[in-house]
Amino acid sequence: MFFFKICIMALRSLWTNLLRTLLATLGVIIGVAAVVSAMSILEGTNRDILKRFESMGADQIMLFNGSSQRRGRRSMLPSLEAEDVEALLECATVKAVAPEVQSGAQIKYFSKNEDATVLGTTESYAEINSYKVADGRFLTPEDVRAARKVCVLGHEVAKQLFGATPATGFRVKIKGLGFAVIGVMEKKGVLGFRDVDNQVVIPLTTAMKRVFGIRYLTMITVQAQGQEYVKPAILEVSRALRGSHNIRAGQDDDFTVFTQEQLKAQVSDVTKIFAIVLYSIAGISLVVGGIGIMNIMLVSVTERTREIGVRMAVGARRWDILKQFLIEASIISVSGGALGVLLGLVFTDLLEQWTRVLKTHTAAAVIWYALIMATTVGIVSGIYPALRASRLDPVEALRYE
Amino acid sequence: MIKVASMTKIYQMGASEVRALDGVDLFINEGEFVSITGASGSGKSTLMHLLGCLDRPTSGTFEFDGAAVHGFSDRQLARIRNESIGFVFQTFNLINRTSALDNVMVPLVYGRRGSAKAKGIEALERVGLADRAKHKPSELSGGERQRVAIARAIVNHPRLILADEPTGNLDSRIGEQILDIFHSLHADGATIVLVTHEMHVAAQGGRLINMKDGKITDDLTMIQELREQLQRSSTRYIGRSEGASLGEARPLESGVAD
Repeated sequence: MFFFKICIMALRSLWTNLLRTLLATLGVIIGVAAVVSAMSILEGTNRDILKRFESMGADQIMLFNGSSQRRGRRSMLPSLEAEDVEALLECATVKAVAPEVQSGAQIKYFSKNEDATVLGTTESYAEINSYKVADGRFLTPEDVRAARKVCVLGHEVAKQLFGATPATGFRVKIKGLGFAVIGVMEKKGVLGFRDVDNQVVIPLTTAMKRVFGIRYLTMITVQAQGQEYVKPAILEVSRALRGSHNIRAGQDDDFTVFTQEQLKAQVSDVTKIFAIVLYSIAGISLVVGGIGIMNIMLVSVTERTREIGVRMAVGARRWDILKQFLIEASIISVSGGALGVLLGLVFTDLLEQWTRVLKTHTAAAVIWYALIMATTVGIVSGIYPALRASRLDPVEALRYE
Repeated sequence: MIKVASMTKIYQMGASEVRALDGVDLFINEGEFVSITGASGSGKSTLMHLLGCLDRPTSGTFEFDGAAVHGFSDRQLARIRNESIGFVFQTFNLINRTSALDNVMVPLVYGRRGSAKAKGIEALERVGLADRAKHKPSELSGGERQRVAIARAIVNHPRLILADEPTGNLDSRIGEQILDIFHSLHADGATIVLVTHEMHVAAQGGRLINMKDGKITDDLTMIQELREQLQRSSTRYIGRSEGASLGEARPLESGVAD
């Protein structure tokens, strides 16, 4: 009952100085909003990236151009060639290999245009990624060998160009060249680094020789015989590639090997750095918010010196005064925290809608964490002013002008 | 009820010491109405703060109802203030953002007596302000504010009411009304100590104590003659009065300074 009455008193005094209270709260509001949105963005991005990697399959090894050697300059010269595929397929630990070239291009069907990613690859691509056709068929070894002008449309591309009508059998133009649509892929969303629904798959040979005129691959996806063969496969694949690239002992690789696990580890390294930066910013703004509360509470204590004297004169104990001011500080910080959480949620949601790329995820724990942080900050920054109030000498306080 | 023996209060003002009270001896019996007068700096406010248990003496003893208050902790002092003492100030000292009733109920909150709206209303009725319970101090006149302050002082039915210049900020007609309330509280059995520098206010009491330089110089029982003289007097306080003895009324022909 007593506690309840003190809360009412605190609320009343805060209500009297509503604008000031709001200004004091602003720091905490912004701090908490920063914490909530920073954590949501971080968590969302993290989950998004992990989801992408997991879509790749744990038995995959990815080969990129350029060396990842830490010593010396990192060479970004392209080195992966279509011929490497043969060497890789000879490895005992390797089950399948999908070479990939990738470029953006415009796909036309009569008057309809669609910007899409064009992926040149072989028949292995669908199998390695367990990516299936919804209609028609995927590439065959013959399509690749003969460099046929055939294409398989991603789900979204087909929808944009053909709407509800089945696309298989029709002809589209890619970079001005006519292609027969042999199939449409299932709706998959994200696969590895790409949004495959917005992708058009054509034979590797067609892409390299007829469409883009390039010699080197973008990357090679290697599927090991099983997840447990990934480690030996890395060694074997590296040896095979060094052989086919004529790299002598002691020389650096001119390619980079990645597994899903390595990528995950790399990403978590990066997100850790981001987390530290974001948490520091959020922490600083909460500290600033705390200083704001302390400042306002100190002003309030000075301003109400006489009132404190009167309260003491009618029987308030020092502890009662301390409690009253602590409760005021807590109310400021808790309401600031709650408003901050709301603001953070709204901001996070808007951010996701505006950017359309950024994925966010707000865990319930984040909200609790932010609220607890805000309350702690409020109470900690309220302690000094409250102590000051409770230590006033009643006679001096009553005399204060 | 109050037993003060050679009470001294020394304030440290930077390097120098100020003897605000210098060996005061005083008895006040239950049901007395005592006026304390004196020039500013005479120590009357300090005496009132000590009697009100807001402070502890530097030396000497102070007994309230047989309890040795001079040795009390802050917590014990707060309790005795809450239960046994009511304060009325010159500047009312109400909390402006809350209603009259809430102001009156502040001592009840700290007394942890639970919800006692009825008690608050009762106290306001006692000062004739029950109809103004919901008004904020800013919506009340000076006299009404002081009545709210008196209601706050009496809400816990204290044995001792201390008033520091309660009419100082009021015009004389309103001041009379306030003094009437004190008389009626006195008639109901409360012990009242009223600090003032206005003689006509001091004349209300049944006993007059005059202070100078931290010492009690006069301690007079009020008789009709003295009362009339004080009320006629334009003097602010009693200046010097030699040979005053405890409890003896003394005409002040020569003792009244200007």
